[in-house]
Amino acid sequence: MSLIRHSLYVGVVEKPPPPPLTEEQYGEMEPKYPEGGHYLSVLRPHGDDCVRQVFEEMRALFEQNQQDVEKALDGAQAEMFPGIRMRHAALERNKRCVLAYVYNRLQKIAQMRWEFGSVLPADIKYNLAEQEVQWFIKYTKCLATYMRSVRAEGGLDLTQDLKPPKSLYIEVRCLMDHGEFETQDGGVILLKKNSQHFLLRSECEHLIRQGVLEHSVH
Amino acid sequence: MWSCKLSTGTVYAADKEPRTEHRVLVLVAFEIDALCACKILQYLFQCDHVLYTIVPVTGKQDLERAFVEHSEGVQVCLLMKEDDLENIPEFRDVFLEDESDEDDLDNDSDDPETGQKKRRFDEAALIKRMEKRKWEENRKKILFEYTEFSGYGLSSSLLLYDMAWKMSKDTNDLLWLAIIGVTEQYINQHVERDKYMESIAELQPHVSRLNHRPDDEESSISIDCLKVMFDNELRLTMYRHWSLFESLCHSEYTTCKFKIWTMKGRKRLHEFLADMGLPLVQCKQKFTSMDVSYKESVKDLFKKFQDKYSINEQDLFLPSFHAQYGYKNRYCATDVIYASEAVLQDVEKEYSDSDNFLHTLDLLNRSKTECMEKGIEMAKIQLSALVKQVQSFLDANLVISAGPFLYAFVQEGTPDVKFFAKPINLARLARFTLEAYCCVSRNKKVKTLPFVLGAHHNSDMGTMLVIGIPPVLDKSLKNCFGKAFEQAAATTNSRTLHDFFDSHIIELKSEDRSKFFDALISLLQ
Repeated sequence: MSLIRHSLYVGVVEKPPPPPLTEEQYGEMEPKYPEGGHYLSVLRPHGDDCVRQVFEEMRALFEQNQQDVEKALDGAQAEMFPGIRMRHAALERNKRCVLAYVYNRLQKIAQMRWEFGSVLPADIKYNLAEQEVQWFIKYTKCLATYMRSVRAEGGLDLTQDLKPPKSLYIEVRCLMDHGEFETQDGGVILLKKNSQHFLLRSECEHLIRQGVLEHSVH
Repeated sequence: MWSCKLSTGTVYAADKEPRTEHRVLVLVAFEIDALCACKILQYLFQCDHVLYTIVPVTGKQDLERAFVEHSEGVQVCLLMKEDDLENIPEFRDVFLEDESDEDDLDNDSDDPETGQKKRRFDEAALIKRMEKRKWEENRKKILFEYTEFSGYGLSSSLLLYDMAWKMSKDTNDLLWLAIIGVTEQYINQHVERDKYMESIAELQPHVSRLNHRPDDEESSISIDCLKVMFDNELRLTMYRHWSLFESLCHSEYTTCKFKIWTMKGRKRLHEFLADMGLPLVQCKQKFTSMDVSYKESVKDLFKKFQDKYSINEQDLFLPSFHAQYGYKNRYCATDVIYASEAVLQDVEKEYSDSDNFLHTLDLLNRSKTECMEKGIEMAKIQLSALVKQVQSFLDANLVISAGPFLYAFVQEGTPDVKFFAKPINLARLARFTLEAYCCVSRNKKVKTLPFVLGAHHNSDMGTMLVIGIPPVLDKSLKNCFGKAFEQAAATTNSRTLHDFFDSHIIELKSEDRSKFFDALISLLQ
């Protein structure tokens, strides 16, 4: 997703906004979504700084326009209008980009609800803005309410088996020492590094997502 | 460990309808046969949705620890290990413990009865005591005889394959695993040739049954399917993936036969190749790139000239199987064994034993061809180190006769010492060295002497691995060193660790070496 390309108005405005952004800073402001990367790298910290800079820019543009419009009304200087229009277009574009950025992040967060469950890993949570956390909680509530209402007896967990499973049980390998794990039927299994287990798919799906287990395929 | 035999039978005997609430704990030793058996079992369990946990165990202590850790909630425990002691003493000779006797004794002595009854009881008790003492002596004797020699029994993968077949769940893949398990026992000289041939004869009908295809178009199968074929294989180590020349220089039999470590021996090998009409240039390039006409006639040529060079056909040819899948992958059973053992004994520091275990399981997976190729390369490196070590033993006359046995040590600081700190490699080195020494030595007696080999093991602990193997001429392959090591250590208070499943391999504190060996010499005289 590309976010902001301000180079359009630089040179058109008589006084450019105080902090002129360099090319490197543009790059920093773009949230990156590497393809096929690990989930941690997908959601980068909320670009507060970047967004604030965009807002400052927009304020500067707006003030400039305000002054020019007043001048134009007073003296009816027709040559001011193209500049005003240009700045207005830049303003609109910035707005669109910021909205797209926020929207995309929300989509990603919603997807994470399906992948990680209602509790986000700490490192991901750290990268969320306060409002996003609030939104996540609301989304979780909404989803939970819906899932409860689907079936009369106790609801239905929609987040399980996102892809249709081929078998009820799968073979997993333990990637790290995780300690004891209690299965649905009350049995206790010791998840120790490099041990292999044959488990119910539904039980170990979240452990696979957390990276504790690895599904070994034959 | 005959527990394997008993318990594998019982899982399925007891659970005709496999019950999923039973979790089976499978403890697997670091041996290829055990790994193959484990894979067969995995398949069977998966078919029946039996839950299981697989834990690799390196030695007896590890076994105990793993069992304690994982046994919670486990109903059945299986131990996958290939060695198996023959002539198991009868149950009642060893475990009979007449507890009621003791109770009677206690009760009666408290009994304030008349003297006569007491006396009568005493007579009976005396007889009973005498019987018991006799029984105990007998028990001790039987147990000693039982543990005096150790040997190996039926391959556990063959056993499990047999079970799979009886359950109509046998596939070509399982058959291939059983073949690997059986061949591993023979390659590592765990069983004699007759026994191996018996197993092969048992496997052959299965191979023909599962690989039978009519020639018409309809029943042809994809090239990616596994095809197993019987073949009279050349016993040249991995020659299909190496060059013929290198393979000749690294195979136990040919190296010893030609005495390749001498100039004369090299010349003789060249002469042999020249006689067969194989150009050296062709022999030294990769076997796959050899001229097709040579490649196809290699076996016939070897057969034709074996008499001239007094090569024993039995030693050069081995009835075995090879597998083909895809266009490129063609492995014979011994290739797989060398590759997987190399991976199992990987000396890379970043991998733990259990990592190596998983890598080997991956290698035995047919779909992961790159693992297999890597394994073959590793096997070549380890084998070269081994041959170099044998050569340096012979060049420096490091094999010494101690009277009742021969011995040698791999010194610390030898370049490839790390390879020999692993039991399978050490055992292979011991056999190779003994074989080579017997070929070079003028003394006829050496063929009847067993061999003890020590190698530096762990410098932090200051320990060495010691292995004892039976003499070359002893074809029964019974190993007496397990008990001998135990007694030698006990009489000299040497600090030893009898942790390996094979009792003839022990860990010994390097400082205690001389007194341990003195005791061993006097013990075996």
